[in-house]
Amino acid sequence: MSGAGDLINLGFVPLNDAAPLIVAQERGFFAAEGLSVRLSREVSWATVRDKVAAGALDGAHMLAPIILASTLGAGGEPQPMIAPMALNRSGAAFTLSRRLTVGFAPGESRREALTRLIAERRAQGESQLVFAVVFTYSMHNYLLRYWLAEAGIDPDQDVRITVAPPSRMASRLAAGELDGFCSGEPWNAVAEDEGLGEVAVRAYEVWQDGPEKVFGVTADWAQRNPEVLQALLRALLKAAAWSADPEHRAQLAQMLARPEYVHASVGSIARSLPTTSFHHNSANAPLPVQAGWLLSQMTRWGQASRDVDVRSVAEQVYRLDLYNQAAGDLGWAQVSAPETADGFADGRVFRLDDARAYAESFALGRMRT
Amino acid sequence: MRVLVVDPDPARAALVVEGLAGVHPLEVRHATIFNEHEAAVFEPDVVVVAADSPDRDTLESLQDASVVNPRPVVMFVDRSEPGLAEAAVRAGVAAYIVDGLAPARVRDILEVAMSRFRLMHQLRQDLEKAKADLASRKTVERAKALLMKERGLEEEQAYKLLRKLSMDTGRPLGAVAADLLAFAGVLKGDGA
Repeated sequence: MSGAGDLINLGFVPLNDAAPLIVAQERGFFAAEGLSVRLSREVSWATVRDKVAAGALDGAHMLAPIILASTLGAGGEPQPMIAPMALNRSGAAFTLSRRLTVGFAPGESRREALTRLIAERRAQGESQLVFAVVFTYSMHNYLLRYWLAEAGIDPDQDVRITVAPPSRMASRLAAGELDGFCSGEPWNAVAEDEGLGEVAVRAYEVWQDGPEKVFGVTADWAQRNPEVLQALLRALLKAAAWSADPEHRAQLAQMLARPEYVHASVGSIARSLPTTSFHHNSANAPLPVQAGWLLSQMTRWGQASRDVDVRSVAEQVYRLDLYNQAAGDLGWAQVSAPETADGFADGRVFRLDDARAYAESFALGRMRT
Repeated sequence: MRVLVVDPDPARAALVVEGLAGVHPLEVRHATIFNEHEAAVFEPDVVVVAADSPDRDTLESLQDASVVNPRPVVMFVDRSEPGLAEAAVRAGVAAYIVDGLAPARVRDILEVAMSRFRLMHQLRQDLEKAKADLASRKTVERAKALLMKERGLEEEQAYKLLRKLSMDTGRPLGAVAADLLAFAGVLKGDGA
């Protein structure tokens, strides 16, 4: 059990949305809670997950679907994890290689042009386009699949989806190994600023205020360290609010750009920060309905069984109660759990009680029998 | 044995080569960055990667059941990270090598990793097949019930009819049953 004063190890992956952890450390929000924190820069999501599971890290900046997959035991043995707060909403984007976009007609939408290109390549017997996402269990994977499938592009048949580390996306685009990638910022901005790619669609254009990174710990650690967890949440919530203030943007970009943090150009970071929602509209509240949507996509693409009890897993993992406790201590408004999620460009509405029918309702999917 | 070592540090590849001395035929390839295309051409029997490599996420995605030719992955783990290796194994890494290990042990670890991986892969396929069989049996039960209700047949007659349809069309019983249910749905107006 960690007590006040014990060193707490927190991991992050070099991305803009690690800002709440970095700001809490740099601006003294952890220290103000009496916490002594060491931040550890990690280069792969699999390592973040394993270190949190093993206790080498007490908590981390994590992809929400990893926490769900670990809890379900998808791809390994189950390790229950929880998300007591969201670090941000939106922020991811899908970037297409300039080699493709230069051939797109001016008035044509990116997706129409891509659909046409894929059909042409198939007719001519050319190889599939290759797109990278950051991890198999990631919002980026589901977002890209959602957006492609909506246009009738089968993400498993018509293109090839692979996995690559965010910081290496631009160089692989340059090497011609990738035709596009979906990742968090600043890596889309970096690819654009280096003249290698162009953003085709941003996360918020598919789902306004959709889920992104969360702060993750194991369920066991949370149970053993309730007071330390609350102190961490208060510090991280204050840091998220600080990060969202436009007046702090230049300072935040300078901070993130440092080699021990994101290690990218200040210009690319500053330019891409506004696409991420760090605080407003209760962006830090872990809403079970958003976890439910992620589970519906895991089911849709065959990563999880169609028999998963979506509500119970979503509520077990996305701990809105722990968020509300910390928010209450800060005098912030309490957030109640909505039953539905809207704000999708296609006008659909997701209902927590109706997750399986929702997953089955798409024309394209890989539901397990 | 074909081994792909993905590590910016050539020392670990050298350790693997030393540990596998005496294995014939042997090809150890060292790459600083994992390249999916090169790996597909090389067709390694086992991939060795450092725990702190950014390529771990790519390699883990290749462990997916849907991938045609998954490979066992062995991980180099720093001794200063207790528990990490065990957590990685729970999440699908086949085995691990602790840094500072004597080369003599490397061969055993890689061989155990490969056989363990084959076993796990087989178990997973068996499980998928068992699930598919169960689903097929449920479909047959439902088709049988439908025939009994709609055609007034006894259970055994309904089953014989399905068997006949299966033999006449040369298709599995489960597939014939699924078709029957789907057509019945259409006739009733579902999905129209």
